[in-house]
Amino acid sequence: MKNLAILLAFVFVIAGLAATGTRAVEGEIPAPPAIGATIEDFSLPDVNGTERSLKSLAGKKGTVLLFIAVQCPVSNAYNERMEKLAEDYKAKGIAVIGINSNVKEDAEAVKAHAAEHKLTFPILKDPGNKIADKLGASVTPEAYFVDQNNKLLYHGRIDNSRNADQIETSDLRNALDASLAGKAIEKTEAKAFGCTIKRG
Amino acid sequence: MRLVRIATAFSFCLLFASFASFAAPAQKQKGRAAKPPTKSQKPIVVAPIDTAALKNILSEQRERPLLINFWATWCDPCRDEFPDLVKIDSEYRPQSMDFITVSLDDFSDIKTSVPQFLGTMKANMPAYLLNVPDPEPAIDLVDPGWSGSLPATFLFNAKGEVVYKHFGRVDPNELRAAIDKLVKKTDE
Repeated sequence: MKNLAILLAFVFVIAGLAATGTRAVEGEIPAPPAIGATIEDFSLPDVNGTERSLKSLAGKKGTVLLFIAVQCPVSNAYNERMEKLAEDYKAKGIAVIGINSNVKEDAEAVKAHAAEHKLTFPILKDPGNKIADKLGASVTPEAYFVDQNNKLLYHGRIDNSRNADQIETSDLRNALDASLAGKAIEKTEAKAFGCTIKRG
Repeated sequence: MRLVRIATAFSFCLLFASFASFAAPAQKQKGRAAKPPTKSQKPIVVAPIDTAALKNILSEQRERPLLINFWATWCDPCRDEFPDLVKIDSEYRPQSMDFITVSLDDFSDIKTSVPQFLGTMKANMPAYLLNVPDPEPAIDLVDPGWSGSLPATFLFNAKGEVVYKHFGRVDPNELRAAIDKLVKKTDE
């Protein structure tokens, strides 16, 4: 009888875990840090499994963190623009780092995707979406721009449209250019639109 | 001992069922292309909508509550929740509630993957596709607190006030409870 009670308790625990495991995690995403907040240094493995810190990859004049995906059509629509952004601002002292937090996209898939789409900027894998949670990232693509002291200066979309021929406002580039020119960033936040990050 | 054996078998069945439910979304991903509607089914027409037209819908005088679901074919939780939404539509829209869906797919999908998916779901509610160069004004119009993540579901009362909103896959019972506070179901 005692064995039966233990077994039934085990069954109910499993059933409970299954029930909570199938619940959507959307809506439980932590709020992003406020503009002006300092982002703590962090380390994540790159697509080869080597731990890389934000500090080691940061640009002298700032860093763009881009949450990206392998399978998201919106993120993929930005592949060329993200690569061009990294190329254009590298010489100006701003580094671009990609972060993949999708639980279903492993390092091998991220590596193959980067090679296929000729993405040359470093891409880090975010196991357990810890950094996505820390930064309150919810979709791909979603951008964060921090200065050389890791102070958050801009958070949001790259530009207004997934279609490159319909770009009217390049919000991220505007923020980078203002920062490089020593001017105040006019628009520090713009809602990022894309695929929900698949959290684990 | 026999009772223990029965309980053991039951627990394994439960374990299998729970793992199958975890695996289901991954299986769905493999067959992303929606089947076209059958010949007997009314063809689905998806209308383009811009921010101004959306504003008109939200601000027009109405006698019934309005449910709006924002979704996209590339959004897994959007696809997963659609059968629940279709059921809720059949329960409430005929008599007591308006319901529209707004797709945030690319405009090039307006005659292909969007109506194909809606046809597969047997979704009869009025269907729109947000056709704007910049989605941010539309997102802010609906709810400044909405980040733009999908799916997003909003229930407006007859006065045009948001009385329920949910980001992510909707809980159908929670949504029904919110609707029931405003209306009566068709079968009641």
